[in-house]
Amino acid sequence: MHADATIDEPAVATIDPAMEMTGIGKRFPGVLALENVGLTLEPGKVHALMGENGAGKSTLIKILAGVYQKDAGAIRIGGVETDLRSPRDALRQGIKVVFQEIALISEFTVAENIFIEEYPVNGVGSISWKTIRRDAAALFERIGFNVDPAAKVGDLPVSQQQMVEIARALAHEARIVVMDEPTSSLTPNEVALLFGVIRRLASLGIAVVYVSHKLDEIFEIADTVTVLRDGRRISTKPVGEHTHDSLIQDMIGRRIENLFPRSRGVARDDVVVKVEGLSTDSKLKDVSFEARAGEVLGFFGLMGAGRTELAKAIVGYDPIKTGRITIAGQPLSPHNTRTGVSLGIGLLSEDRKTEGLMLELPVLQNASLASLEQFARAGFVDEKREKSAVQAFVDRFRIKTPGLGQQIKNLSGGNQQKVLLARWLMRGLKVIVVDEPTRGIDVGAKSEIFALIDQLAAQGLAVIMMTSEMPELLGLSDRIAVMAEGRITATMSRDDATQEKILNAAIA
Amino acid sequence: MSEITQPAKSGPVAGRLANNSQIVLLALLVVLCIGISLSAAQFYSVENVIAILRQCSLVLIVGAGMTMLLIAGEVDLSVGASLAFSGCVAMDVTNKTGSVFLGALAGILFGGLVGLFNGLVVTRLKVNSLIATIATMMILQGGVFLYTREAVQNKHQQPAFTDISTGYLGPIPLPVIIAAAVFACAYVALRYTTLGRYIYAVGANAKAARLSGRRPEQLKLLVFVVTGLLAGLTGLILASLMNTGQPTAGRGFELTVIAAVILGGTSLLGGRGTLLGTLLGVLILKVIDNGIIILRWDQNLQMIVPGVVIVLATYLDLVRRRADAR
Amino acid sequence: MPQSLSLSAAAGPKRPSEWLRALFRRNEIALLLSLVALIVFFSLASDSFLTTRNITNVLGQASLAMVAGIGVGVLVISGEIDVSIGSLAGAVGIPLVVIMNMTGSLELGIAGALLLALCVGVVNGFLAAYIGINSLIVTLGSMFVIRGAVYLYTGQKAIPDDLMLESFYQIGNGRLFGAISYPALVAIVLLSAFIYLMRHRPFGRKLYAVGGNPEVARLAGYDVKRVKFIAFVICSLLAGISGILLSSRLGSAVHVAGLGFEFQVVAAVVLGGVSLAGGIGSLFGVALGVLILSFLANGLGMLNIATEWQLVTTGLIIIAAVAFDELKRRAK
Repeated sequence: MHADATIDEPAVATIDPAMEMTGIGKRFPGVLALENVGLTLEPGKVHALMGENGAGKSTLIKILAGVYQKDAGAIRIGGVETDLRSPRDALRQGIKVVFQEIALISEFTVAENIFIEEYPVNGVGSISWKTIRRDAAALFERIGFNVDPAAKVGDLPVSQQQMVEIARALAHEARIVVMDEPTSSLTPNEVALLFGVIRRLASLGIAVVYVSHKLDEIFEIADTVTVLRDGRRISTKPVGEHTHDSLIQDMIGRRIENLFPRSRGVARDDVVVKVEGLSTDSKLKDVSFEARAGEVLGFFGLMGAGRTELAKAIVGYDPIKTGRITIAGQPLSPHNTRTGVSLGIGLLSEDRKTEGLMLELPVLQNASLASLEQFARAGFVDEKREKSAVQAFVDRFRIKTPGLGQQIKNLSGGNQQKVLLARWLMRGLKVIVVDEPTRGIDVGAKSEIFALIDQLAAQGLAVIMMTSEMPELLGLSDRIAVMAEGRITATMSRDDATQEKILNAAIA
Repeated sequence: MSEITQPAKSGPVAGRLANNSQIVLLALLVVLCIGISLSAAQFYSVENVIAILRQCSLVLIVGAGMTMLLIAGEVDLSVGASLAFSGCVAMDVTNKTGSVFLGALAGILFGGLVGLFNGLVVTRLKVNSLIATIATMMILQGGVFLYTREAVQNKHQQPAFTDISTGYLGPIPLPVIIAAAVFACAYVALRYTTLGRYIYAVGANAKAARLSGRRPEQLKLLVFVVTGLLAGLTGLILASLMNTGQPTAGRGFELTVIAAVILGGTSLLGGRGTLLGTLLGVLILKVIDNGIIILRWDQNLQMIVPGVVIVLATYLDLVRRRADAR
Repeated sequence: MPQSLSLSAAAGPKRPSEWLRALFRRNEIALLLSLVALIVFFSLASDSFLTTRNITNVLGQASLAMVAGIGVGVLVISGEIDVSIGSLAGAVGIPLVVIMNMTGSLELGIAGALLLALCVGVVNGFLAAYIGINSLIVTLGSMFVIRGAVYLYTGQKAIPDDLMLESFYQIGNGRLFGAISYPALVAIVLLSAFIYLMRHRPFGRKLYAVGGNPEVARLAGYDVKRVKFIAFVICSLLAGISGILLSSRLGSAVHVAGLGFEFQVVAAVVLGGVSLAGGIGSLFGVALGVLILSFLANGLGMLNIATEWQLVTTGLIIIAAVAFDELKRRAK
């Protein structure tokens, strides 16, 4: 627990640190996101920040970017204690952050987006579009990015948008550049370009913070590594003192043995979901697969590979162009969630807030949404039966809520996710599609969600899991399908799967 | 690590969370009533109470529909124009057929058609409901004058037509009975039926509702039609009250209705609100109106007070919700 | 993505050839063509339509909506809305005429009118941008309060201009060099100024950014609340200017002046391609929206078609225009 006591501090730097964070704490409703975390950045060095989802990396970065305010601790920049009360404060201090989510105005051109933090103006205060065009083109030229400065950002593919974001951080003078998983949707060539850029930044004396959970990247680019877990700092070491195993050990801790409980036996033979030649206008190309009762079929893919699109198409949420989907032998009419739900397929969406939760409504109504008819007679809801059914799930899933009347927005992410799982299971499904089931969930709650998914498969459901988390994929799946650019590029059994095989197929 | 935001505080009362603001409204109503009656004793006279209720009934009927519509995440600004047109249609058809029943039916159905039009434009053409219903309002305001240049008189002086608004059932005026019936139906539907649950669900999160196998478009369409029918019914009662179909009736009525609904705690963002709140909102606005009259204050205050009250009520709601979030 | 709607938002940094291509993707072209078609149609249908007299008359009429429309356009682009502008445009006539009657000075009257507009903008902006109350509710509230206050003050009667100042008459009805009416001049100057602001000043771009994606704008270091607050003030001031011109045309402070004006203006703004969601649209489009609705109203009048048809057609056109945009967006 008191990991701090055993941290090996890096040898005292001969140069003054560019920035020093000490004792940083941050609490959100229901979660202690950061507790007594320290981070020291040196000019000209690349400092990697590692940890699983929910470890506190993003929170720490957002504090550095002025998006969140720390509850405890101190930040010193160039030796001076500073409060970063807003993104503007951070920008003024020369802190540039490249966020994981695209932070660009999609209606503006690429060139304009590069300069929105500070427009170049002429003598009378008019924006100098000529300078913007010229400087943007020059910037891209210099760092070797191939993006059209005159294109509208909203028209670009995600990977190019990410390049634009990175370029923007370099447009003005910066003291500290923070990159939050910048490679999640980049091609290998683009990643190589990016690393060149990072090395050049470091050689200019800029302190770079590089957030990633890709080990190979860390060993290639970083000088120092700080690992966070459960909101605490576990270690800070020069990268040379780490091995793959020691890094994973630090990131995952002792939980690794029991993170993926497995109670189920072998999958049954009956095919519950059959997808043949599925294509959509937006993304998917000729996707075919089967899922059997009692198994977890894991889909892996990088950002933009088409996992979420596949999930939405097979439950009937999004329209499809060609292809056939059958659930337990019955054809699903495409673009119609009604038949999907009645045939017994449901989706636990990756985006809980916008596609799952009814934030303002109580737990009760959130849980019973998909199964309300079961508790209704002549259109009237029998609330007693409804409540006892929901209560049964609350008990079984150990959902922590003060009562069924509690607004769901007041629950923690893990408990919200359990309520949404209950929503589907109250219906008696044959297939459940879970898309990034543990996104934004505490590590502790994660293992509970994993256990629930395992139980579902054990009860004979076919579970289709979309994930970008390698441990989750390997720990939970019986079979693995890998997607890239809207196609399935490989399928393998759990026993044959290795991290390398999967990644190779994902990049193909 | 604690997983729950508000462990003890909101536990058993959480279900009644929505009612907190209603207690405030109720207290406000009581204070208003006491305050007014202290200065003007006739406030509690039977005539005055009945007058207030009669005033309330019109706003409440449309308010019931509007509450459902706002909960479903949409809004209708055309109800004022629609009720004027419906009143003219009701009077005109009554004149032409000699049947008050047919006239009444035509008026109500006309309102329903307007609701259907709004609903189709919003759900099929995907036009923002604020803009769509402003457009419908314009169409109706122009259309009603094309339909009739002047007020439609009760040509045959049919007493049955005026009875709709001036009749009594026992001591209670008919419009109040109608409003009570509409309110009761809407209350039961919203509170106890699957339909009501789905209306909340669609307003709270249309995507989630669709993923759960609901059809948000159809539900919204239905609520638009219901709101339209209720606007038609109100137009009928108003025409009966004036004994004419008045093309200019109902100007600004939509704003009074929305003010009452919002005052009652229904959210413009959908998914939140109650009919009891709307009832209280209507009562408060109309008691204020009445108070201004019997205290012999300048009647123009009748516009200012609701304006201030809406903003204030929304502000208090905001403060309460921000406190909640902590 | 609504490429066809990109408008000036993407018009900034472009090379000439691309600018031309972009132009044809933009919906201003569709609006412009509609306007031309409308004018051609009415001039064929009625002899008295395409006369200098009538055209200047229409432009004069359109100017008031144009001035207010610029303000509403700026505000809607920033992601907010104001429905109190009709009440405000009516209300500014009161300080204008009352102060003029008292002091004999048009300038002081105008200053009083603008001060009132400024106050309304500050209150609306403070409540909506800083306190965070939904702007539709805030301005619905101020719509009631302002109109009620006008009725209260005037006792529901018009306040006449006792001094019959020539200069007061001139601002709404006079012409520069006998050709272009002052309201039209005001509209053109303001339109040019604000088009320049929206395209070429950092603040204009901030308005787009704040409306298009407030979170991104905040990350870019913008003070989102302040930007929106200023948009409210701009909107109210322009509604005030529009009200001053209106009052001069009416020759008095009329208590019912500007009733329903807010709906006309919002309709023109939306017709002009400004998205109610914020961040999309151009003031050039707004100007075209206003002109189309004005020429339509005038033309229908010329053809002796009942004026009520104007309302009906306006309503239908708005639905059609917004629905069409939505369809185009979905087709992409």
